[in-house]
Amino acid sequence: MSSARGAPQRVLAVWCPDWPPDAPDAGPEARAFEQVITVVAEFCPRVEVVRPGMCAIGARGPARYFGGEEALARKITDAVTALGIDCQAGIADGLFAARLAARVPASAGSPGVMAPPGVMAPPGVIVAPGRTPAFLAPYPVSVLDIPEFAGLLPRLGIWTLGDFARLPAAEAANRFGAPGERAHRLSRGLDPRPLTPRPPPADLSVQIEFDPPAEQSEPVVFAAKALAGRMHAGLAARGLACVRVQVQATYEDGQDLTRLWRHDGLLSALAVAERVRWQLDSWRAGQDARDGGPGAGDPAEASLVGGITRLRMIPDQLVRDEGRQLGLWGDAVISDRVARAATRVQTMLGHEAVMRPMLAGGRDPAEQVTLAPFGDSRPPLLPAGRPWPGRIPAPAPATVYPVPRPARVTDDSGTAVTVTGRAVVSAPPVRLSADGGPWLAITAWAGPWPVNERWWAAASGRRRARFQLVTEDENAWLAAVQDGQWLIEASYD
Amino acid sequence: MRPGGCVIAGFGLPSGDGALPGPDVLSGSDVLPVLPALRELLPGGLQRGSVVATGNWSLLCLALAAGASIAGSWCAITGLPDLGMMAAADAGLDPGRLLLIADPGDGWPQVAASLLDGCELVLLRPPTRPSAQVRRRLEAVARRHGGVLVVAGDWDGAHCRLAVARQEWTGIEAGHGRLRARLVQVIADGRGAAARSRARWLWLPGPDGAVAVAAAGIGETDEAIPSWRGMSTG
Repeated sequence: MSSARGAPQRVLAVWCPDWPPDAPDAGPEARAFEQVITVVAEFCPRVEVVRPGMCAIGARGPARYFGGEEALARKITDAVTALGIDCQAGIADGLFAARLAARVPASAGSPGVMAPPGVMAPPGVIVAPGRTPAFLAPYPVSVLDIPEFAGLLPRLGIWTLGDFARLPAAEAANRFGAPGERAHRLSRGLDPRPLTPRPPPADLSVQIEFDPPAEQSEPVVFAAKALAGRMHAGLAARGLACVRVQVQATYEDGQDLTRLWRHDGLLSALAVAERVRWQLDSWRAGQDARDGGPGAGDPAEASLVGGITRLRMIPDQLVRDEGRQLGLWGDAVISDRVARAATRVQTMLGHEAVMRPMLAGGRDPAEQVTLAPFGDSRPPLLPAGRPWPGRIPAPAPATVYPVPRPARVTDDSGTAVTVTGRAVVSAPPVRLSADGGPWLAITAWAGPWPVNERWWAAASGRRRARFQLVTEDENAWLAAVQDGQWLIEASYD
Repeated sequence: MRPGGCVIAGFGLPSGDGALPGPDVLSGSDVLPVLPALRELLPGGLQRGSVVATGNWSLLCLALAAGASIAGSWCAITGLPDLGMMAAADAGLDPGRLLLIADPGDGWPQVAASLLDGCELVLLRPPTRPSAQVRRRLEAVARRHGGVLVVAGDWDGAHCRLAVARQEWTGIEAGHGRLRARLVQVIADGRGAAARSRARWLWLPGPDGAVAVAAAGIGETDEAIPSWRGMSTG
């Protein structure tokens, strides 16, 4: 495993094309990638997750055990493909080259590459030891993923990694500084840093058995505090923190009650114990509601339905403990009080029930906000701060129906008002019935404002003509005609 | 900041014109501040630990919450799956200090109680008509945590009640123009010190999107649109 600096180790990289290259490190994509990591860890327990969709292992040891590098690559791709996930594997000297080798498409050849033997050559290539510089040479400098170099080097006539590697190392460092030196090492097939695999997580979980089974939640919560302390000590001894902690309570009848809590290395043992209490309470409240019983969530009578025989805590998504990560939930500082209230409601209603809004771009009132569950960060769906021609002018409606409500609008003679393809109204709208409600006289109206969005995409494209309507009760509505059907999109309450 | 430099709401605030120098939003220990336009309707602000009922869901509910949000309080909105977030932001609510619980379900009193523990202002539209027991319990929770519960609905025994009596949209005609501003008459009454009923005309929202005091109401002047141009909040 250990190798002198400059002589890079053999690295096998596994690439799953299904994950987008910009997937965030935490979030649903990262969680889905866990299953791939689990499979790869069967071959070598020390897996480095480069990003969701790409992981790497040191290839030397496993290759000897599994009968050669080709056999290892094939076995790993077979095992991951068995999950139903597309996967390519490549082996080269150093992580940088291995990542590129894993992404070589099935039919491509590259100079200096030993194609893996076998009838069906799997995608991804195995670069023979020592041939990595030759393998890298034809790649464009943009693969270095250093934005300023991607533009600068071609202007200097340096188009490929081979061109760059031919520069004297000292000149590259002189002219381009530390990033240049690093890039030069990469181009020559040397590794700027050794592989940092994550340690196997299995042995960091802690558990406690209750014999006889605990009938009250109080002793379980008390034990949870000690248990969390033990888990934290175990993590701290390895310099690790966990992003989330999984709490698993096993009942007498063998039923497991499992919940994941966001931890981020920020929760004290007491705070973990508090979450265990919420978990038990909410489960009991749900049980009461199912039984039709009263008194959901009164902590005074904290007897459990069936005793708990085992409590287990499993740290999830281990990361190096780099101190407290503030600002994880966005810019506003969230006080403990708010976080506790929000987490408490999430226990009752689920993670997605407590949302934090973010203003986004878009033309629709409904598009102009992106919601993220409390504790997750999520980029706005549409960028704010750009001109969105055709967006609804201010003031914004106070009520925006998530699903537009059907409506009927007629003219003086009682026939439905229509809008032509050239945005001409058939007759002035006179009466409105929203969602099957009573007919109201329209006292003022404005429109139609045609909206023709994403006309190039058949599935998401749509044409609408919008109106603002004021009815006799002085309520104002935002209505639209789409495919001849009137819809109430929002109301100015 | 000099300790003597801030204005304590509820003390010596003239209820007539409210033209005090100082910050736009008053701050105090036992009240949550309200927007300047609402100061005449709610002298002093929103009493901590109180329940304010508004009869119906409308922009008025958001305007009530905006003052506290501007002053840095966390707010929670629950029971409103069809909230127009842009309208909330335009009214002055800070999206960064806002929790949305669209559908609190049958356990909404429990959800509202948990939210009152963490947020200083909770805007609630009860999915069902609250029983007397639920009302008493939530009033007690609000008192204990010093939060304000703004109810978009009826609430017997609310400390303060606000309602929109009349409203009129301006800027839109038959077939031309667009919605620009709304003139509303808000009536406030309540218990105790707030028992005297007050009525004020407000721009909700005004032509610039903000909530402001209107100089004259419907029928009191026929130059309704020009009146906002020279309008002052005092």
